[in-house]
Amino acid sequence: MPTEPVSPPPQKPFLIEKKRTRFLGLTLDETIRAFFGGNAFTAVVVLALITIFLFREGSAFFGQNRESITLYRQAGLEYVDYMRTQQEEHTALTRYLFDIRLRAVKHMTEAPLGGAQKEKDAASKELWELEHNALASGPAVDPEKLASAKARVAAAEAASAKILADANAKLAAFDDFAGRYSDTIEPVRGLVSELTDVAVAIKEKYTINEDAKRERAQYLAAGMTAEADAVKITEVDFKAELAPLVGITPIYVETANGVAAAIKEVASTPPTLPVPALEERMKRFQALNAQYLASFPETQRKLETWDYQKPVPAIDTFTGFIFGKQWLTASFWQDWYGVVPLFVGSLMVSVIALFLAVPLGVGAAIYINQFASAKEQKLVKPAIEFISAIPSVVLGFFGIAVLGQALRALSQVEALSWIPGFPFSERLNALTAGCLLALIAVPTIFTLAEDALNNVPRSFKEASFALGASRMQTILRIIVPASLSGIVSAVLLGLGRVIGETMVVLLCAGNRIAIPDFTEGFAAFVQPVHTMTGIIAQEMGEVERGGIHYRALFMVGLVLFFIALLINFLAQKIVRKYRVSIG
Amino acid sequence: METSSASSTPASRAFQVPSRATDGQKAQTLIEIENFDFYYGAKQALFDINLKLDDKRVTAFIGPSGCGKSTLLRCLNRMNDLIDGTSIKRGGIKIRGVDVNARDVDSIELRKRVGMVFQKSNPFPKSIYENVIYGLRIQGETNKAKLDAVVEKSLRGAALWDEVKDRLHESGLGLSGGQQQRLCIARTIAVSPEIILMDEPCSALDPIATAKVEELIHELKKEFTIIIVTHSMQQAARCSDKTAFFYMGKLIEYADTRTIFMNPGNPQTEAYVSGRFG
Amino acid sequence: MSTPANPFASKPSRSRSFEKVILGVFRTATYIILICGAAVFGDILLKGVPTVANAFKTTSTFPYVTNTFLFEAPESLYVFEHEGKTMEMGDKDYRAFREAEIAKAAAAGLPPPVFKSSSYVYSAGGIWPCIVGTVLLVVGSMTIALFLGVCSAIFLNEYAKDGPIVRFIRLAILNLAGVPSIVFGLFGFGLFVIYLDWNVSLLAGWFTLAFMVLPVVITASEESLKAVPKGFREGSLALGATKWQTIRKNVLPYALPGILTSSILGIARVAGETAPIMFTAAYVVRDKLPWDVEKASDFFFQGVMALPYHIYVVSSKIPQNEYTSRVQYGTAFVFLGIVALIATASIIFRNKLRSRYQW
Repeated sequence: MPTEPVSPPPQKPFLIEKKRTRFLGLTLDETIRAFFGGNAFTAVVVLALITIFLFREGSAFFGQNRESITLYRQAGLEYVDYMRTQQEEHTALTRYLFDIRLRAVKHMTEAPLGGAQKEKDAASKELWELEHNALASGPAVDPEKLASAKARVAAAEAASAKILADANAKLAAFDDFAGRYSDTIEPVRGLVSELTDVAVAIKEKYTINEDAKRERAQYLAAGMTAEADAVKITEVDFKAELAPLVGITPIYVETANGVAAAIKEVASTPPTLPVPALEERMKRFQALNAQYLASFPETQRKLETWDYQKPVPAIDTFTGFIFGKQWLTASFWQDWYGVVPLFVGSLMVSVIALFLAVPLGVGAAIYINQFASAKEQKLVKPAIEFISAIPSVVLGFFGIAVLGQALRALSQVEALSWIPGFPFSERLNALTAGCLLALIAVPTIFTLAEDALNNVPRSFKEASFALGASRMQTILRIIVPASLSGIVSAVLLGLGRVIGETMVVLLCAGNRIAIPDFTEGFAAFVQPVHTMTGIIAQEMGEVERGGIHYRALFMVGLVLFFIALLINFLAQKIVRKYRVSIG
Repeated sequence: METSSASSTPASRAFQVPSRATDGQKAQTLIEIENFDFYYGAKQALFDINLKLDDKRVTAFIGPSGCGKSTLLRCLNRMNDLIDGTSIKRGGIKIRGVDVNARDVDSIELRKRVGMVFQKSNPFPKSIYENVIYGLRIQGETNKAKLDAVVEKSLRGAALWDEVKDRLHESGLGLSGGQQQRLCIARTIAVSPEIILMDEPCSALDPIATAKVEELIHELKKEFTIIIVTHSMQQAARCSDKTAFFYMGKLIEYADTRTIFMNPGNPQTEAYVSGRFG
Repeated sequence: MSTPANPFASKPSRSRSFEKVILGVFRTATYIILICGAAVFGDILLKGVPTVANAFKTTSTFPYVTNTFLFEAPESLYVFEHEGKTMEMGDKDYRAFREAEIAKAAAAGLPPPVFKSSSYVYSAGGIWPCIVGTVLLVVGSMTIALFLGVCSAIFLNEYAKDGPIVRFIRLAILNLAGVPSIVFGLFGFGLFVIYLDWNVSLLAGWFTLAFMVLPVVITASEESLKAVPKGFREGSLALGATKWQTIRKNVLPYALPGILTSSILGIARVAGETAPIMFTAAYVVRDKLPWDVEKASDFFFQGVMALPYHIYVVSSKIPQNEYTSRVQYGTAFVFLGIVALIATASIIFRNKLRSRYQW
């Protein structure tokens, strides 16, 4: 084929080439594009910066925590804590005994006391009516009647007092046993309290010395040599300081043996309980006690082999944070930074919130999407959007001002006492916070679930109808399963919203830093808790910048950040994995 | 493949046939497409296209849906640059000897010279007046008198002047479908391109509006080179000088419109124009 | 002649009543949500309105009437017994009153009266500085967020071709949307307050909040850009316009109303958040109003009072009783009112826009 066609008249040029102005090798349009592209990277940059700055502020936590744990060991606090644990376990057993006693009393007196109470109420009522009538109608009341009524009240009171006294008398043997058992630990208690003072003194010395070192370094940095020299530094000789502590081991072993013997002696003569139903618990106590005694040699071994110089492995600071069951700050003894109680708190309020919000949100989404008239839709959708606009701090305030009290009042209603945990006395607890968080999660779940339902192709629904299925069958068997991935991811995003919520839990969760007592079953849900978000908001303003506590809070933030990312990731994954099947 | 060899031979042969020059002059070649392969991602959309299009003539691209005729049209002013993943693997398009895909060719300058009218009329939500001068405005033209002149000339050129001269400052969206399409043509000729590409310009119009646009095409031919993609064979027969028939991304036959319709050289073309498939 | 039974007649059955029950359950769920929302609104409305409504007082200067709750700074409330009556006064009034009484007693030759008062912080006066602070925070952060967000959306929707980079950016945006607000607070504290040494300041708050709403703004902007028909872009490009000319003249003008409307929801979120500003921008109390600064640059580096933080302070740091609940409910009411207004505006504008732009 000829490359140049024959073209007799000269062609006019076709001007489509143009030199454009260039900045740094880019044309104007490319520059603009680069500018917008740069902006689009903000999201990436911010995400990176969040990670970097949380790490930057938080990562030093591990070093500082290691120092703190090392000091805990070097100053002998750890040593004392071995003994303290032994003492505290004993106290727990004593408490178990008291619990048995409480149950026994309740068991023995409940029925008769109830009768006595009824009698007393009836008598009081009679008396009150008589006196009331006397006031209303003058001295027309028979004084004899009045006297007999008074006597009846007194008799009823005496009867209930006697029931209690009888019960207590029956428990005298048990009380004697419990008292003797409780006393057995006294020698250890004395030892521990003595050693506590020694260890605290060592720690104090070290801390003062460290402060002095820092002061001197500051002077030196400022070039003030004279002042620097004036600062007195005396290194703590841990070995010497610890001598009295470690020297006590043999004495302790002796004491512990004595205690063990005493316990055995006491336990060998268990009292017979007046309530046979509680024998089971008594047996359990004996078993626990045996377990406790068996732990004695282990404690002794720990004490004998204890070495203040044993290095603290780096991993301990990490596991101590992630799995630590104590978040204890500003304590005279030893600060612990364990995220577990906070995590459990966050999880509990989230579980409550989702338990309430998922049925409500998904149910409402199905109703609005499948049943509601156009008018109802137009009303409900913006209303729910409106609810999502309520600021969380306002909800928190509502919880403090109204909901906390309302829930407590509700829990004290007789008819509801079958619900585990009811009645409760704490106004602010996991339940209060959970209810409010549900209101926060509902709009998220509703909106996203409704979207998911909307995305189900019409043809599915029509095909099902054409086969003679009813509306409900179609919805439950076709539409909901088809949009399930969307609904699940809606729930996950609702969870993300709830677990990251701060103000409501800060104001309404009760802020008690402890792992709830799950032995009480569902009643644990009405206990006050503290959360990861709440602790940051509460303590960040008060901590020393750069201190270990400050850094620990950043670590909590980091954990929160990663949890949020994980939830997001899962939500996306679920949507992507299962959406394909809808087609 | 047999069809490809069969297709290129009659096409090249057909190209040798002198065109039916309406004004009696011999047409010059304006656009040359050589060995052109085009891909959407990994999928090849055009196979080895060779085509020479005449200056100041109307060329129609016909063929069933998905045959690549619109794709080729959009390659002529590089609108395909805007679609992700498109690439030219071989060959090129030259307009008056200039390769439009060359490095130093500015696609914006190219589009000023090669206008385009779309399948669905797309007037901007501005006044009729602003719609027509849009192209000049973005080139920085501010002279009011000149703009007025261009508006009148373009609207007259698009046979719309009489219908809209009293309401130039009303929204272009208020016009009827056919008027909107002619407004788009007016907008295109306002920047005085040399070539106007029309991508099924009448597919959304009723027969009367279609007739008006076809009449307009006839008029425009005096000044512009027009390439029109159409589904309607009658339309191709009515208003084009030459016709190219595409099938499955290949150019099957290219010849005078009359030849294509009366005496097609390829059995596939014959089958298509006689309505047996497509 | 008996008519044959109609085979299509509706028959009562167990499954049918089951359906009714299920429908009832779904409907109940919907209305429980609405009732809960209404309960919160209603409670705060009922108890909050009197605080604002009872605070009107006349003044000697223009505009002759003012609302002490809305337009004054917070004060401590003093409650004391005087001549057998229980009186309540704000800090300034109380001092003046005490001076006057002592002077009166001295003039009459009597021993000075003893004032036994209990005081409640923030429970008198108003919340003007908080309103101002909130408005400043919202305006500043939304300006930043809109700029960054619209630019990002333009890139993603107009320029970017689908590829690993764009997918990465979208992933980042999606994840950013899920980051808890308190983490943004920590981040803002670490970056702006400490690292950049801006201290607790408006500027730190602006950026922290802006980054927090960025995903909302980007998503809203992208949706609005997507709603502009492709034909507008093609038509413009086919006339030889550059990409930027096309966007500026033929895309942005039609997308902007949508962008702004959808971003109002972002505004509601910015205004409602407490956690991100706790450590970055909010002061518990500040006497000066933000414009009382010595030099202009100080304006950006000052902390402000803010409504949400004030609610937190008054609901957690002071006891709940009859004297304090006025200001607690009043503040919550004003704040909720502002946020609700913003939300309503967004819903109304959106509906209007939907009916207006239909191409």
